[in-house]
Amino acid sequence: MNAIDIRNLSKTYRTRKWGRVDALQDLTLSVGKGEVFGFLGPNGAGKSTTIKTLMGLISPSAGTAQMAGVPVGDARCRMKVGYLPENPAFYDFLTAREYLRFVAAMFGMSPQETQAATGKVLGLLELEGAADRPIRGFSKGMVQRLGLAQAMLHDPEIYVLDEPMSGLDPLGRALVKNIIRDLKQQGKTVFFSTHITADVEVVCDRVGVIVKGKLQTVNAVHELLAAGVVGYQVQVTGLSDFSGEGVEVTVRGGGILELQVPRELLSLTLEKLGSRGAEITLIEPNRQDLESFFLEVVAQGKK
Amino acid sequence: MTRGLILGALLLLYALVVVPFTTYMRQRPVALKLGYTPAGEALRLVASDQRYLLAQLAVDRVLFYFGSLFTKDGHRVSTPPEYFNMFATMQSALKLDPYNMDAYYFTEAAFTWELKRIREVNNMLDYGMKYRTWDAQLPFYAGFNAAYFSKDYRTASLYMQKAAELSGNPLYTTLASRYFYEAGQSALGITFLRAMEQSAKDAKVKKIYQVRRKALEGITVISDALNRFREARHTLPPDLKTLVREGFLSRIPEDPYGGTFYLDSKGKVVSSSKLAGKQ
Amino acid sequence: MDVFRATVVMTFRWILRDRVLHAILAVALLMILLVPALSTFSMRQVQELSITLSLSAISFVLLMVTVLLGASSVWRDIERRYLASVLTLPISRTVFLLGRFCGIACFIALCGVVLGAAAAVIISVSSAQYPSDIPIHWDKIGLALLADIAKYIMLASVGIFFSTVSTSFYFPFFASIGIYLAGSGSQEVYEYVSGQFGKEMGSVSVALFKAVYYLIPNFAAFDLKVPAIYGVPVLPAGLGLTFSYAVLYCAILLCVSSYTFSRRQFP
Ligand SMILES: Nc1ncnc2c1ncn2[C@@H]1O[C@H](COP(=O)(O)OP(=O)(O)OP(=O)(O)O)[C@@H](O)[C@H]1O
Ligand SMILES: [Mg+2]
Repeated sequence: MNAIDIRNLSKTYRTRKWGRVDALQDLTLSVGKGEVFGFLGPNGAGKSTTIKTLMGLISPSAGTAQMAGVPVGDARCRMKVGYLPENPAFYDFLTAREYLRFVAAMFGMSPQETQAATGKVLGLLELEGAADRPIRGFSKGMVQRLGLAQAMLHDPEIYVLDEPMSGLDPLGRALVKNIIRDLKQQGKTVFFSTHITADVEVVCDRVGVIVKGKLQTVNAVHELLAAGVVGYQVQVTGLSDFSGEGVEVTVRGGGILELQVPRELLSLTLEKLGSRGAEITLIEPNRQDLESFFLEVVAQGKK
Repeated sequence: MTRGLILGALLLLYALVVVPFTTYMRQRPVALKLGYTPAGEALRLVASDQRYLLAQLAVDRVLFYFGSLFTKDGHRVSTPPEYFNMFATMQSALKLDPYNMDAYYFTEAAFTWELKRIREVNNMLDYGMKYRTWDAQLPFYAGFNAAYFSKDYRTASLYMQKAAELSGNPLYTTLASRYFYEAGQSALGITFLRAMEQSAKDAKVKKIYQVRRKALEGITVISDALNRFREARHTLPPDLKTLVREGFLSRIPEDPYGGTFYLDSKGKVVSSSKLAGKQ
Repeated sequence: MDVFRATVVMTFRWILRDRVLHAILAVALLMILLVPALSTFSMRQVQELSITLSLSAISFVLLMVTVLLGASSVWRDIERRYLASVLTLPISRTVFLLGRFCGIACFIALCGVVLGAAAAVIISVSSAQYPSDIPIHWDKIGLALLADIAKYIMLASVGIFFSTVSTSFYFPFFASIGIYLAGSGSQEVYEYVSGQFGKEMGSVSVALFKAVYYLIPNFAAFDLKVPAIYGVPVLPAGLGLTFSYAVLYCAILLCVSSYTFSRRQFP
C-alpha cells in the first residue's frame, strides 16, 4: 500500500463572472512508504491545490486520492497525517502550548502523551522560549516553526508540507532539512512542495515537476544527479603541460594545472595523466544542477 | 446519508411540535401579548434620536393588540383587555414623541366612550395642544369630551372656538355655537362620530365608530318618537313596542352591539348591551 | 468526545479573549448599574420598571453578543485562514460546527446567568427602596431569563447557518438581526393577517405571510417579561412546547448547516 495515491485528479475552480481555472488536470501520482517526495513547480502550478485536495479542504472535480489507504474525503484519513499549510495561521488568541494541546486533543492523545510530545516538538523547533506567549505576537518564521511543530506533534506516518522552508532564516532552513532527513531515517513518508531546487537535491528521494496543472516528470533524485554530470574538473601537479582532444587546460599558480574533462573522456584522460606521472590532487564533477533541469522542464511544459 | 435521516426525523418531530405550539401561541392569554412599556422618560434617555421610531412602534403595538380584542364583526373577545397598559404605553409613546397623532387619535377612540377616562384623556390632549399648535383636531376632541361626557359646556365651547380658529372649518363653528345648547346629546354624538369615522384610516377603528354611530342613531330615532308620543299623550309609553303599535315608530332599530333597546324606569332609552361589546 | 470538548473549550477561549466582547460586557454591567437610577422615573412602579429595564438590558446585550458571535463564528476562521490548519486535523466538519455552536451557546447562557445575577441584586435593591404591592416573582424572572437565553441560542444557530453559506461577516450579521426582528413580530403579524385584514389582502400574500411565519423562528413565545413583572401565570404545557420548539428548531438548523458546511470548499 502506498502512503499517498493520487489517481486522475482534476480540479477546476470557478471564479466570478463564470470564469474557470483548470488548476489540476489528470494528475496521477504515488508516493511510497518511507519516501521523501519533492513536489516542484512554478507559482500557480497547482501544488497547493493538490495538497488541499489531499487534506480535504477542497473536493476534486474528478479523480480520487487516498492517504494510508483511506479516501481523502474522510476525516479519519488525516489521523496519520501531519500537515503544514502554506502561509499557516493558527488561532492567535491561544498560546503556542495551548494550541498544541488543542491539536493533541484532535488526535485523541492522552494528557501524558500530549505533555511529552509538546515538550519534544517545542524543543526541536526551538520554540520553548515563546511557548507560553500568545501566537498573536509571533513572527512569520516563528509561526512557520509552530506549523511544523503541530504537524509533528502526534508522530504521524505521513507528512504533507506545503513549502516548509518559506519564511525561515538560513538556520531554520538547515533545521528543517535536518528534520526531514531524520524523518526519513525513521521511515516516515514526506510529501512536500517547494520552488527551491537546492532543497530537493539535498533531501528528496524523488521529485515531481508540475507545470500549469499537469505533472511533467517524476524522477529519482540520484538518477537526475548522475545524469546531470556533464564533465569533471581535474587538478594535477608535477606536470608542466598537458594537451588532449576536448580537454581545456588552464595554468594555476603553484604548479597546478586545471583540466576541464568531458564526461566520456575522463577515464582516458586519467590514464594519460597517470602514464605521464602526474599527481592528481582533485577530481570534481561538473554537473548541470537540478535548477537548470527544472527550468528546462518548465520551459517545455509551458509550450 | 445519516444526516438526511436525522434531518428527516427532526422535521417530523418539528411538524409534531409546531402545530400545537402555534395553536398555543394563538390562544395564549392576551395579557401576555401587550406587556408593559417602561415610562417614557426612561425610554427617552435610552432611545436618543430613534425615539420617534420607538414611539411609532409602541403605538403600532397597541393598535395591533387592540385589533386582536375584536372579532371580525366588531364584537369584543371575552378576555379582559389591558386598558391600563394600553394607556400607559400611549403615554410613554407621547413622551417619546409628543407629535404622534396616531396616539392622540387612538386615545380619544379607546378611552372615552366605554372607559370614561375623560379627565386623563383631556389632560393628554392639553399636552398635545402645546406641541401640535396648528392642529384643530385635538381641541375638537377635547371640546367634544368636555361637552358630551362631562357636560362642561363652557370649557367645551372654548375648545371648539380654538378648533374653529385653527381650521376655519364651519363644522367646528357650528359645534361651538349651536349644538351645545340647542341639539341634544345624541345629535352631538352623531356629528362627532361621523367626523371621526371619516378621518379614521384604520378599518377596524372606522368600524368601531360606525357601530357606535349606528347605535346612537337608533337611540335618536327612538328618542324622537318618544318625544312626539309625550307631546301627543302627555305621558310615557309603557314600553317601546307601544311606540310602534301606535304608529310613532316604524320599527325598533337594531342595537348593533347585539342588545335590545328598552325604556328604563326614568323613561330613558337604553340597551341591554349597555352599548358596549360583550365583556 | 474529547475532540468535541476541545472544540468547545477552544471556542470558549476565543470568546473570552475577544476584546469587542469585553467592551460589550462592560457596557452591559454599566446598563444594569443604571437601572436603579432610571427606575425612579416611574413614580408608581419602581419595582416593575426595574425588572423591565434589567430584563430588557440583558436581552439587548445578549442580542449583541449572539449576533456578533454567530456571524463571526465561521467568517473569522476563513478570514484569518485558521480553517486550513483546523479542518485538516482529523475532526469532521460537523463536529467542528457543533463544537462552535455549543461553545457559543454555553457562553450565551453564562452571560445570561452572570448578568441575571447582577440584575437580581439591582432589582432587590431598587424594590427595597420603593416596595410594590406585587411581590417579586423570582421564579418567573428566572424563567423569563431562561426563555431569553433559549431564544438567543436559537438566534445563534441562525447566525451559524448564515455564516456557513457566506464568506462575509456582514451578510450573517444583518441577516441574523433581520431574522431577530421578523421572528419577534411574526406572531402579531400572523394574527393580524389571519383576521379581517387578511381578507382584504388577497390569499397569495396571506399564504406567503403564513409560510414565512412557519419558516422563521417564533420569538414571541420566548417573551415572558410580563409574567416576570406582574406575576401573571404561565402555562406549563405552553412552556414545554416552547422549549421543545427551540430545541428542534436549533437541531434542524444545525443539521442543515452541517450539510452546507461539509460541502463547502476552502481553497
Ligand atoms: N480559490 C481559487 N479560485 C480560483 N482560482 C484559484 C483559486 N485558488 C487557486 N487558483 C488557481 O489555481 C492555480 C493553482 O494554484 P495553486 O495555489 O495550487 O498554485 P501553487 O502551485 O501552490 O503556487 P505557489 O507556488 O504560488 O504557491 C492558479 O492558477 C491559481 O490562480
Ligand atoms: Mg502554493
